[in-house]
Amino acid sequence: MRRLFSRPDFVAGIRDMTPPLIGIFPFGLVCGVAAQAAGLSPFETVAMAAIVFSGAAQIVATQLIAAEAPVAVIVLTCFVVGLRFLMYSAAMAPHLKPLPARWRHVLAFVLTDQAFAAAIRRFRASDNPGVGASYFLGTGVLLWSAWLVSNLVGFLAGNVIPAAWSLDFIVPLCFLALLVPALEDGPARVAALAAGVAVVTLDALPMRLSLICGGLLGIVAGLLAESLRRRA
Amino acid sequence: MSGTVGLWIVVLAVGGLNYLSRLSFIAVFARVDMPPLVSRALRFVPAAMLTAIVVPAVVFVAPGNVGLTPGNPKLIAALAATVVAWRTRSPTATMIAGMAALWLAQWMLRAARG
Repeated sequence: MRRLFSRPDFVAGIRDMTPPLIGIFPFGLVCGVAAQAAGLSPFETVAMAAIVFSGAAQIVATQLIAAEAPVAVIVLTCFVVGLRFLMYSAAMAPHLKPLPARWRHVLAFVLTDQAFAAAIRRFRASDNPGVGASYFLGTGVLLWSAWLVSNLVGFLAGNVIPAAWSLDFIVPLCFLALLVPALEDGPARVAALAAGVAVVTLDALPMRLSLICGGLLGIVAGLLAESLRRRA
Repeated sequence: MSGTVGLWIVVLAVGGLNYLSRLSFIAVFARVDMPPLVSRALRFVPAAMLTAIVVPAVVFVAPGNVGLTPGNPKLIAALAATVVAWRTRSPTATMIAGMAALWLAQWMLRAARG
């Protein structure tokens, strides 16, 4: 552990992840506000942020908690929302392979949309796995700490922020910023279009099942579009 | 969902499953090749799931009521944010543009209604 750890790269990770906090902090605030609105205690809010550590999963979970959906539906929906981590995990795996298991277990925990995008570049730039790993750890530690603070501040400020500010609109904007780069080719756009049409059409389904059904239909549509294009 | 126990089950189960997803190829399936269909399907998860989260938050002006007109400020703001996201690839710029467009559209709508 000591041999791999590189302090300059750890610090570089923290430094590079500081400007994006401007975007991440409001997202954490909104998660805290949503948790407060769903009736969670401050401790439960921070625990959820610390353990789940995913804005998308937390927002979906708190919305479903507020809608009084059954536990199984909440867990299943959040699991599908988090499936993109499988993809990040697969992309990160070759870079983490030379590392000891302890490093891999810790770094997997701090694997997020933002840390993934930043760290994958650092890993590709150097042959020494300690460089990328320390950098990744730096981005992860900063994001995780900032995430807890922003969630707690959001919880405490929940009643103070005027509704007219429409701060909850930060949530779709955060996802839009991740979504747009994912629309890289035809089949991905078909997947998005199908998911969007399906989620609105199926809105009347109970327990917000429209979310998981719309997402799954979108994935199937993307696969079909890709198969058709290959055959053509 | 009922009570505190249910909440802790949700937190631990969602956190645990999220961690397993993150850990999957890094540790658990490190020596296994992903089945081709699974890797093809996973590629569409961000496009499909993020759209399924974003679209209802933008198009519904009230529960069960879709507003696909310029009278829906969230639609205007989402379009502006999409253009900025496309051009800049910057989450921060996307968020600032989206919120600014939302406030502007809301203000103009109020002004138009007098």
